[in-house]
Amino acid sequence: MVAASAGRFSEAGLAQLTEIVSHYPDPGGAILPALWLAQREYGGWLPAEAIVEVAARLGRPASEIQGVASFYTMYNMQQRGRHHIEVCTCLTCGCLGAYEVIDELERILGIHLGQATADGEFSLTEAECLNYCEAATVVQVGERYFGGVNAENAADLIARLRGSEECTPVSLSNAIVEAIVPGYFASSAHG
Amino acid sequence: MAELQVLLQHRNVPGIDGIDVYESHGGYAGLRAALGKERQGVIDEVKASGLRGRGGAGFPTWIKWNGLPKSGPAQHYLLCNADEGEPGTFKDRELLLKLPHMVVEGMAIAAYATRSTNGFAYVRGEFVESAAQLRKAIDQAYRRGYLGRNILGHSDFCFDLHIHTGAGSYECGEETALMSSLMGERGQPRLKPPHGPLPVVSGVWGSPTLINNVETYACVPHILTHGGAWYAAMGTQRSPGTKIFSVSGHVARPGNYEVELGTPLTELIELAGGVVGGALKAVIPGGSSVPILPAEKCAGVTLDYEGCQAAGTMLGSGGFMVFNDKTDIVALMRRTAQFYAHESCGKCTPCREGTRWMSRVLDRITSGAGRMEDIDLLLSICDQIDGRSYCPLGDAASWPIRAGIRNFRHEFEHWVRHGSSPISGFVPPVRSHGPASVPGRQE
Repeated sequence: MVAASAGRFSEAGLAQLTEIVSHYPDPGGAILPALWLAQREYGGWLPAEAIVEVAARLGRPASEIQGVASFYTMYNMQQRGRHHIEVCTCLTCGCLGAYEVIDELERILGIHLGQATADGEFSLTEAECLNYCEAATVVQVGERYFGGVNAENAADLIARLRGSEECTPVSLSNAIVEAIVPGYFASSAHG
Repeated sequence: MAELQVLLQHRNVPGIDGIDVYESHGGYAGLRAALGKERQGVIDEVKASGLRGRGGAGFPTWIKWNGLPKSGPAQHYLLCNADEGEPGTFKDRELLLKLPHMVVEGMAIAAYATRSTNGFAYVRGEFVESAAQLRKAIDQAYRRGYLGRNILGHSDFCFDLHIHTGAGSYECGEETALMSSLMGERGQPRLKPPHGPLPVVSGVWGSPTLINNVETYACVPHILTHGGAWYAAMGTQRSPGTKIFSVSGHVARPGNYEVELGTPLTELIELAGGVVGGALKAVIPGGSSVPILPAEKCAGVTLDYEGCQAAGTMLGSGGFMVFNDKTDIVALMRRTAQFYAHESCGKCTPCREGTRWMSRVLDRITSGAGRMEDIDLLLSICDQIDGRSYCPLGDAASWPIRAGIRNFRHEFEHWVRHGSSPISGFVPPVRSHGPASVPGRQE
């Protein structure tokens, strides 16, 4: 059961939340999915009002919801750039040029890791293993993945992002996996 | 030398992610075979196959299945651990992406065998496309009567399956932490025997709960279709069957390779096109948590649970990373420690504090300011975490660092003596600000 509350959840979002709550024997199970919905409804991050609304809708204390949300890295507790670029630097990517990609992205964007551009278009962080190691170096931008990124084609990545539609933060659908190097995924698919 | 593809045989067949093509390639025959047996008969078939959990621990699958109550009114839950986060591993992502029905079918068979009526696939948050594929498969399976009420006309078999999306936490791959996360809590582990109940006795919401890895479930339809004895004839006696290895790093053709357990380690490297960019220096055969093997110890090692253990490492998740001789092992260990420091859930002191200290000491060494005693300090920290943490994350953080020092101590000593890498021309990344941070957010 989803309670009435002030807030920003749309009709569609509320319908989805009601459906999700019905999947669980206890409404607690709906906390993570509700936070995903809230992140979408609030434009890609979870301001304090979003936490309060999720808490009210699920009948839980806001402190509990805040505690859960802040544990997980994909819930954005701060606003990020419209294109939030996460470069995997873990073991395989780190050995196959991820740090050169970061150097190049920092140069192109004029920012350092952990910063956003002044116009709010781009923010840049490193990521832990994205489990696309066969396509190292892998870059995640919202719902999109780019494989085979290197220092030479990093500028192409930025050009593609600049020209693209709004890149929504990860929600529950519409994923696109893209290869910066044409045919990269095809050539690595053997057998 | 060749792959033996059981799970991945049809992965590149156009449309195999859809139910029609999947069925025309033998899909859901395993579920039909299962429903022709008593529930215990299904468990016995899995027992005969010798299947062991493919998530990393290698625990015999049938023992878990057999542990759920065989009667009584309790609701049983069936969970699929698709929170693949072990660095170097990408098999579950590809299975869900290309063969989602195989996972759904395996879960349905397991649900029948264990009288489970409610299932959740806990899919890693980043796997947006894999989750979408699984959602599509679940919808199709419902429409064709493989999920839902009275499955395939069986009056006593109902099974609902939902997806629960993770939100970025390696720790949630640990089965009790996954259950915490499913119930809407921070992804922290729960007590296990001897201090707490087994999940099959009291798991999510206090109910008997079965949890298996994606690849484990994907093996099940084949075992029911062809029989446990057929499966057990592959691989070795103690490690039967095939295993998917995610091969990455300095190889010509990175990707997922399915081979019989017991395949020589060096053959897998050849399958992936051999080492590129230099000679082989080391292999991490089972994901970042397992001890690194130097090249000179790779010969003769077989890829099965026992073979890896005899070589001083582990089969783990099958995340098989190959490193050439241009690789700086100390920098690799520094990055490994950074990962565990970031992913430690913070619940217990040895892991929360120890992983952080390991990361900081390794930062100091690769910044050129290391002290010779730092090497033994690292070993001491490993000893203080290993076996003392609440869940296996702490152990998994200490094993690779200890093995890195044991096998490549001279490289650590070189770093301390010279303040620079033993690999000529290697400049360590000057990015020691630790976990990925976001604007305005302090670590």
